[in-house]
Amino acid sequence: MAIAESGYDTLSAEELRHRLEEAEDTLRAIREGEVDALMVRNPRREDEVFTLEGDASYYAFMEAMNLGAAAFDEENRLLYANKALRELLQLPADQVDANHLRAALDDVSRETVIALMKDAREAKRTAEIAMLVGSDEMHLLLSAAPLQLGVNRGLAITFTDITAKVRAAAAEASERAAHSIINSANEAVVVCDVNGIVTHANAAVAAIYAGNPVGEAFADVIQLNLPMTGLLQADDIVSLAISGSSVQGIEATVPDAPRVKDVLISAAPLRVGSDKASGCVITMVDLSQRKAAEKQQLLLMGELDHRVKNTLALVLSICKRTASTEETVDGFQVAFSGRIQALAATHNLLADNNWSSISIAEVVSAELDPFVSSAQARLRVEGLDAMVMPRAAIALGLVVHELATNAVKYGALSNDTGRVQVKVTKNEDEAWLGIEWLESGGPVVQPPVKRGFGQTVITRSLQYMASGGAEIEYPSTGVRCRLRVPDEDVVSA
Amino acid sequence: MIDDALGAAPSEPLKLVLYIAGQTPKSLAAIANLERICAETEPGKYVVEVIDLKKDPKLAREHNIVAIPTLVRQLPVPIRKIIGDLSDREKVLVHLKVGAE
Repeated sequence: MAIAESGYDTLSAEELRHRLEEAEDTLRAIREGEVDALMVRNPRREDEVFTLEGDASYYAFMEAMNLGAAAFDEENRLLYANKALRELLQLPADQVDANHLRAALDDVSRETVIALMKDAREAKRTAEIAMLVGSDEMHLLLSAAPLQLGVNRGLAITFTDITAKVRAAAAEASERAAHSIINSANEAVVVCDVNGIVTHANAAVAAIYAGNPVGEAFADVIQLNLPMTGLLQADDIVSLAISGSSVQGIEATVPDAPRVKDVLISAAPLRVGSDKASGCVITMVDLSQRKAAEKQQLLLMGELDHRVKNTLALVLSICKRTASTEETVDGFQVAFSGRIQALAATHNLLADNNWSSISIAEVVSAELDPFVSSAQARLRVEGLDAMVMPRAAIALGLVVHELATNAVKYGALSNDTGRVQVKVTKNEDEAWLGIEWLESGGPVVQPPVKRGFGQTVITRSLQYMASGGAEIEYPSTGVRCRLRVPDEDVVSA
Repeated sequence: MIDDALGAAPSEPLKLVLYIAGQTPKSLAAIANLERICAETEPGKYVVEVIDLKKDPKLAREHNIVAIPTLVRQLPVPIRKIIGDLSDREKVLVHLKVGAE
């Protein structure tokens, strides 16, 4: 035949439809006697004109065409199936009948064909069927039209193999789905071909590379710094994945990245079907938040280490000084544990407030609680709402503890009538916040004959800065202490 | 021939090729029918070439001709084919109409 070899698999659906219409039109023209010559190819593969003369010529033409065709009578009996159809559906070469055709179709296809044949008695109809030929699924486009056979109303059906087209459409749909999956991913996803050239990159990649990476070599556009020995580079990751090995979860930095500079990079071979890798898929997970959290954690651990060391030094110093001023083991035990508890009370307050500032009232109240809980009326506090930083709070806690211990032992809290007043004073021209401790109503005060550790704690604890400190006086009416908390450690409201 | 009857095309004529097979009845009918159709339209609308495949069968390849007679509207594209003896005048005119798909 002069009809070109089908090449149907390279045609678009529209071209295929056009060819089909042309073939049907040719058949119609032959059926209706509108043509009287055909182009055929002789055994020497030369084209020549074949003049139609009677039924044998039509039959020869039908047999030679590469489009499957069948004719049915009014009772749906198969009158004729051409060679192309017999080969397509693997029907017997001789004496083929409707039963053979029925057996070649599965239940679904059979129903479709029966419905098509019924509808096409009135006008031309088309339908698609899928069937298994051997182990392969074949898709056929059926076109049926009424056919006048003498006085009988028959039916002509053509069968076109559109498997390649259906597969191409399925592949296209699957590729579209793959694209939308990549584009919907929160992580940056880059697909490379076998040469490491980027073929796809989703929107998240913009946080790592400012330009359009498609068409560029991955290793050129994403400048990765890998934390290991330098043995592994970006192009090695790509090569490994393309050669079939997965690379999982390597932390890397991308110094030139516009937004995300810390990533967890993974790469896997891209396999289409069961073939060998046709490229690779690289994902980069944003580690910025995790890295920031790790930095914060390191910072906190450093801070904790610093505080523990300071506290231990302080405890050691309290222990030494207490030991040097107490004459008995019992006395040491009471004084030392009292001071450690005072320190712990302030620590607890600070811990409850995440080591941020706390109010002077809270510190004073925590330190005085063990002494005056049953005699709150004897304690008057005024204007202690100011907030102080942890350093000042710890010092203040120790000082108040010493003042309270002294008051309970010798001062205003040692009898039933004494009172303690704590008030805050602030002069604008001073670089400190003043706190006054005033005792009254207690026994007549005698200045101490020797300077104990308590006195040292009171006068020195706030001296960590030049503006801080304390003075204690012993007038006979009651102990008076003026504390100075440096302004730097007072949090302005 | 028909070419002579139509003369030169004034502007963008439809280029038609009629494939025939010698003196078969349908080929002769197709020529006669096409001449009549052309005569009914203004001169210069069609430029017609008649190819006799009996004389040169290889020429069938250009337009993938299977059945004869076949009229091919070569220009303007897309190419349209009308198979048969062109006795259905209305059908021929519909197919020749530019933009008719």
